[in-house]
Amino acid sequence: MLKNVLTDIGGIGLYGVISVCLFFLVFSGAVLWAFLLRKPYLQAQSQLPLEDGSR
Amino acid sequence: MNLETFRYDNRIVRAFAIATIVWGIVGMLAGLLAAMQLFLPAANFDLAYTTFGRVRPLHTNAVIFAFVGNAMFMGIYYSLQRLCKARMYSDKLSWANFWGWQGIIVAAAVTLLSGFTTSKEYAELEWPIDIAIAVVWVIFTVNLMGTILKRREKHMYVAIWFYIATAITVAVLHIGNSIAVPAGLFKSYPVYAGVQDALVQWWYGHNAVAFFLTTPFLGLMYYFLPKAAGRPVFSYRLSIIHFWGLIFLYIWAGPHHLLYTALPDWAQSLGMVFSVMLVAPSWGGMLNGLLTLRGAWHKVREEPMLKFMVVAVTAYGMATLEGPLLSIKSVNALSHYTDWTIAHVHTGALGWNGFLAFSMLYWLFPIMWNTKLYSVKLANWHFWIAILGMMFYAVPMYWSGVTQGLMWKEFNAEGFLQYPNFLETVLQLVPMYGLRALGGSLYIVGVFLMAYNLWKTAKAGQFVPEVEAQAVPLKAQAEHVEKGPSYKHRWLESRAVLFTVLSLIAILIGGAVEIIPLYLIKSNVPTIASVKPYTPLEVLGRDIYIREGCVGCHSQMVRPFRSETERYGEYSKAGEYVYDHPFLWGSKRSGPDLHRVGGKYSDAWHYNHMEDPRTMSPGSLMPRYPWLITQKLDVTSLPARLSALRKVGVPYEPGYENGTAQQELDTQAAQIVANLKQGSIEAEADREIIALIAYLQRLGTDIKAEPTQAAQAATSTTN
Repeated sequence: MLKNVLTDIGGIGLYGVISVCLFFLVFSGAVLWAFLLRKPYLQAQSQLPLEDGSR
Repeated sequence: MNLETFRYDNRIVRAFAIATIVWGIVGMLAGLLAAMQLFLPAANFDLAYTTFGRVRPLHTNAVIFAFVGNAMFMGIYYSLQRLCKARMYSDKLSWANFWGWQGIIVAAAVTLLSGFTTSKEYAELEWPIDIAIAVVWVIFTVNLMGTILKRREKHMYVAIWFYIATAITVAVLHIGNSIAVPAGLFKSYPVYAGVQDALVQWWYGHNAVAFFLTTPFLGLMYYFLPKAAGRPVFSYRLSIIHFWGLIFLYIWAGPHHLLYTALPDWAQSLGMVFSVMLVAPSWGGMLNGLLTLRGAWHKVREEPMLKFMVVAVTAYGMATLEGPLLSIKSVNALSHYTDWTIAHVHTGALGWNGFLAFSMLYWLFPIMWNTKLYSVKLANWHFWIAILGMMFYAVPMYWSGVTQGLMWKEFNAEGFLQYPNFLETVLQLVPMYGLRALGGSLYIVGVFLMAYNLWKTAKAGQFVPEVEAQAVPLKAQAEHVEKGPSYKHRWLESRAVLFTVLSLIAILIGGAVEIIPLYLIKSNVPTIASVKPYTPLEVLGRDIYIREGCVGCHSQMVRPFRSETERYGEYSKAGEYVYDHPFLWGSKRSGPDLHRVGGKYSDAWHYNHMEDPRTMSPGSLMPRYPWLITQKLDVTSLPARLSALRKVGVPYEPGYENGTAQQELDTQAAQIVANLKQGSIEAEADREIIALIAYLQRLGTDIKAEPTQAAQAATSTTN
């Protein structure tokens, strides 16, 4: 089945377009996700390496 | 509050730190020897064990897996415990990881110098060592995940995400690229052939750079840089985008190592586009690192650790801008196979990995020995000598790369190659090679200064084997009631296994997109009827070619440029490599391409040339191979080799290896001996040189057998 789908797409161009779209969706998803996070949470996270001083 | 007391384990960190320094020196000295061999053939010592073809993989493996590998383990074992507020999951696993890894390094050094190699770059080790690597890697991963699962800190800091991505992706890459059928204890043939093998190898090779040399060190940057600067990372948001963007994108970019080769065009374009896009997450991460120092730049002047860190992050920025640039097809047309690539990888290795490893060592020694650094002045000397060393390394290599590329492509007014003799283009580079060796020497002097400085630091202090700490166990920590995206992300992070699965899916998508179509769409590798499997003698000759590491200097891929078809002959077609297990396309031309060398010279020429290249090609920088003339050809392994090749798909008749194979081998060897006699050379038929000549004379000749079919195949390849 998968073989037929991939063979039937013929022009590999479409395959490339699907790939780029997939990437775009994942990347925008990550950006959106990151910007929706709340500040107190981000601040707490970024403090983690500093919690035990210089040990 | 139900506080638990526990102890961080510094002993394992100390062990990896010492190994980092020791293997760093060994790997870099091997590199210096290889650098000298490129302009001084006598430095090969006319010994099989010390020729460039064997020393180069030793250098690359030692630097990548021994120096950078140990530095990575050192940093992870230190930071993971503190970020998880937990001792490592199991001390036994920690030490199994340490000794297993050192054992693999020693086995690698011995086998590579002995000529046991798969020839696939950065994956040269033969199958028993590959299995050992897989086992040790699983031990490391179990220890890593176990520590994460028993942590006392609810959330996983971004550094840990990078560690998880490293652990799972390296496992996938290593297993995917190492699938082979053994033909004896130290010989195997990959199941993939030609174009497919090339794509799988560079899917691995590219992502070994990504997930062994980059992601773990980015995690370490996210831990050690804020710690030394005394301030949190510039933007935690950016680090999230950096992580998901990077791991999702990196995997797609492998084909940029194969531009203008016989790889199908769509795969090349895919690799190029994704490589260019990689600039975005890479520079996001670099800027995030540098901007962490905003308002703390004065510390960079005082703290040697931060100096090294700043240069490391800057080198990361330079290398990740240059990488995409080199992936643009028109730039790659000039740069590929030249020393430009060598300059590029050393910006990453010397600058990014080297300086970050030094930075961690300067930070960890005073802390673990509870004292101050023995000499800040000496560390500053190291810093400047290493910078100078990098400059002396990189600038001549850029110069050399561009010179090579331009000379290969230059035509005179009459339309002929300006430099038809390849050697002319090599001799032009000798001064640059000398300067490169000087740069490398300076860099190593710096490492010796560091080793002395750290030794004195340790002597002055008292080692702290364990550090006591306290934290509330995870179960006792109250659940947050907060809702919304932050809550969801916390939820995701707090589920380490789910997080790991999502990272795995992210990296598998890119790999699948690249590799699946190449297997499923038959038209990607048009068959050429006249291309036949190698004869038994040629198989053994090819294995000698692999053993001696010829692929380290000679490509077997004529690209479709006029400058290359004029110099070498017909450009290479995908269908010509269907029986090449492994592919031997190479990545650097210190010598000319050999794909069309078959029939170009007489057997006697090859015999003399292998014995002493300078008799046939005055001024040549190629090593001598006198042992090939005297060593007996091992024909006892022939049945196992042919049988293994049949298993991976080469259509030898069943029982061939026990039937006519030996007879055919003898006949072909006798013919070569007769040819040599015509050239006034008395040779014995059972010597290695005979097999090697048989292989070299076969190279690229199949398509000449039936020109019409070859032409048809060429047309279908370009369509």
